[in-house]
Amino acid sequence: MSQNNAIHLEHISKSFDGFKALSDVSFTARWGEVHALLGENGAGKSTLMNIVSGLYGPESGSLYVDDNSLSLSGPRDAARAGIGMVHQHFKLVEPFSVTENVLLSLDGNLTARAYRRRISEVAGKIRDKATELGFQINPDARISDISIAEQQRAEILKVLVGGARILILDEPTAVLTDEESESLLEKIRDFARRGNAVILVTHKMKDVFRYADQVTVMRQGRTVRTLVPADVTADELVALTVGDSVADAHQRAQHEAGEVLLDVSDLMTAAVNQARRSLDGVNFQVRRGEIYGIAGVGGNGQSELAAALMGQPLSTEGSALLGDENLLTMSHARRRECGIACIPADRYRSALAGPLTIAENYALGEIFSGHYGPLWFLKKKKIEAEAAQAVADFDVQGVRSLRQKAALLSGGNAQKLVIAREFRKTPSLVIVHSPSRGLDVKASMAVRQKLVEARNAGAAVVLISEDLDEVISLSDRIGVMSAGRIVEEFSQPADRQQIGQAMVNHV
Amino acid sequence: MFENVIKAPLLTRRFSLELRQEMAWYWQAMIITASLAAGVVISVLILMAAGVPAGELVNEFIVYTLLDAESLKSVLYQASPLIMVGLAGSLAFRARFWNLGLEGQMIFGAIAATGVAIFDIGPTSMRLVSMLIAGMLGGLAWAILPVALKIRWQVNEIVSTLMLNYIAANFLFHLLYGSWKDPKSAFPYSPQYETFERLPDIMSGISLSVPLALVISLIVLWYTVISRSSLYLKFVDKSPSVAIATGIPFTRVILFTVLMSGALAGLAGVMITAGQEGRLTHSFYNGYGFSGILIAFLARNNPLAAIATALLIALLFIAGQSLQVFYQIPFAMVQLIQAILVICVASSDFFIRHRIRRIASGAE
Repeated sequence: MSQNNAIHLEHISKSFDGFKALSDVSFTARWGEVHALLGENGAGKSTLMNIVSGLYGPESGSLYVDDNSLSLSGPRDAARAGIGMVHQHFKLVEPFSVTENVLLSLDGNLTARAYRRRISEVAGKIRDKATELGFQINPDARISDISIAEQQRAEILKVLVGGARILILDEPTAVLTDEESESLLEKIRDFARRGNAVILVTHKMKDVFRYADQVTVMRQGRTVRTLVPADVTADELVALTVGDSVADAHQRAQHEAGEVLLDVSDLMTAAVNQARRSLDGVNFQVRRGEIYGIAGVGGNGQSELAAALMGQPLSTEGSALLGDENLLTMSHARRRECGIACIPADRYRSALAGPLTIAENYALGEIFSGHYGPLWFLKKKKIEAEAAQAVADFDVQGVRSLRQKAALLSGGNAQKLVIAREFRKTPSLVIVHSPSRGLDVKASMAVRQKLVEARNAGAAVVLISEDLDEVISLSDRIGVMSAGRIVEEFSQPADRQQIGQAMVNHV
Repeated sequence: MFENVIKAPLLTRRFSLELRQEMAWYWQAMIITASLAAGVVISVLILMAAGVPAGELVNEFIVYTLLDAESLKSVLYQASPLIMVGLAGSLAFRARFWNLGLEGQMIFGAIAATGVAIFDIGPTSMRLVSMLIAGMLGGLAWAILPVALKIRWQVNEIVSTLMLNYIAANFLFHLLYGSWKDPKSAFPYSPQYETFERLPDIMSGISLSVPLALVISLIVLWYTVISRSSLYLKFVDKSPSVAIATGIPFTRVILFTVLMSGALAGLAGVMITAGQEGRLTHSFYNGYGFSGILIAFLARNNPLAAIATALLIALLFIAGQSLQVFYQIPFAMVQLIQAILVICVASSDFFIRHRIRRIASGAE
């Protein structure tokens, strides 16, 4: 086993559009070790690993592989240097077989003749690697026919057949069951023991304590500390990840909450095939003039809760009372009438039709009420006039014409268009899910400002977000969601560490 | 990685293929026109090979049909049911419902109308109107099953509508060889309709089916362009997930639009039996279902363009008929020409969506 460092990063900085994603980061991983990279969403873990795997170029700083200085001009360069990354969202071609996917990622030409020559050779290599690792996989199976766990193995084999000795896994256990996770991580640890290096990007404490030899904690674009997991307790590690800063309340003027507007009680999704319910009895109340934030590690029922409250098709039990009406069974026309504004996380799946125009998308806000004419006549002029006004009022940039496709707007401006539509009348209840996902800092600020304004104007706001900073800085009260329930509630000033612990303890 | 996959097998090493983001509408129009022209050239070559002199083609298609009042009337007469099936196709396709069952719906429309005629239902003064209404209801009824299966259990409508055509056709044979057969005729025909059961000619010999087609077209245009549903339909067509999430009455829009499509096909059936044929025959619907689909396709599901395309196809039919008489060209030739035009327009889509670029020599 070499005494050299597998990967060594010095003073790496990277910013996106003025936002510093990484500032002066240094990081070292040694051969033979599993090195965990721990941090919250947005701490910079993925950005850092994307730099190591050659997807991004750093603005400054240097990268050493096996103690040789290196500059990568793309993922192919990184692959040649023996660095392979398995992304959280797999990059596999579904109709192709495992072998074909691996072949696709290798250098060299891919003409029909070369394909026939190389395909069996690559299949052989996959079998060898799989035996070496102890993976079960059928190289001839189509990706679309195999399970998520197998797809992940295919991804890992893809980079290993490509010759990777430094394996980066981005949240590998997020999609796996407990048994699958254990089996995978054990094999990965054995792989490292044979003189390779593994970097495990994660936010699961359990994985860190059981499988990592070293852990580096990142927070807000910086590496906080590198230590041996056995030397610390879970609480200390949580404290390092979430930091000790109390919520920065700078944009939150003190505000008196009014009477209860929304009362969610025993909200459950229908049980499917005895699997765990994604919502398992959610209870909370939101008052007028209050932002109720829902924090939690992704995948604990947030998406289902958002879908249920936003009136999207989902079969649910329990109730979400708005006065004496149930939000879960209310028609969309009635929801608009009551002034319920919805800002979903996935804009182009749930809020904006990309192929349709800005004006047509804007018209959804009042289409049911007859404001734009009766059933038999649509007042297009009126729609365009009002859309033009809203685009100006809400500062939606990049609109050359109201008849331009909504898909041509940037993420931030698309979100502003959604807000312009949902806030065209003063809303009484606002339901927001990850409102700043995929937005740059400036657009996020503008979006958050609108939420605070709505709150100050007396609206009840439900903010569901996986970004803990966002929840803490905006919310008046915070509920922590875990395994489909609200497990704990906090009032401001909230203790970041306690929230962080509540998020992971109940998993 | 992605580019390699596309480049290697599709083209030689000297050209590469790229996906285009967007294309200005006038370029699109030019490409479609050019491909139509290519289709016309191929068709002309085939007709010339079949023995029609080039000069005669111009005469047949333009001078004798378009510039002659009588022929123009028959083009319009022929166009009316084609407009109906073309609109029926466009409507259903706009709701993302691949209605290949236009012929089955035409058959049931015509059967329902003929039933009204045979059993003398209602006063004679209202007979034609009740036949037209019965025809629409018959076509609509035949569309209920596939659309319900689609909405309730996601049953593939391409298969269900297509198969229901065969059931409808066999039921039609059952009637025409059985209880509804005209004893005076050797063919599987129903008895002749009475005069008051047929679409009359109105002012200067234009059949009533022409203004009827006009009125129905206006209603469809109102539905797809002016009414509030026009916007619903756009969301259902272009972005189903958003339509569902934002509360657009998704299933209702699909249901209504598809049933309307069935009703129009049924009406097309009555237009033929109460128009050209004057009775229910075993083959009155032949080829109309296919024509309806291709009209919708050529018109890109745009109702106005569908009306124009239907007129062109009717022109092709009428000119084809006289070619049949004067040059013994089989009717299959007319269908061949239709098919050639469709293939040409379909291929133009490839050029709209891709860009072909020469690769600098040396680079692979």
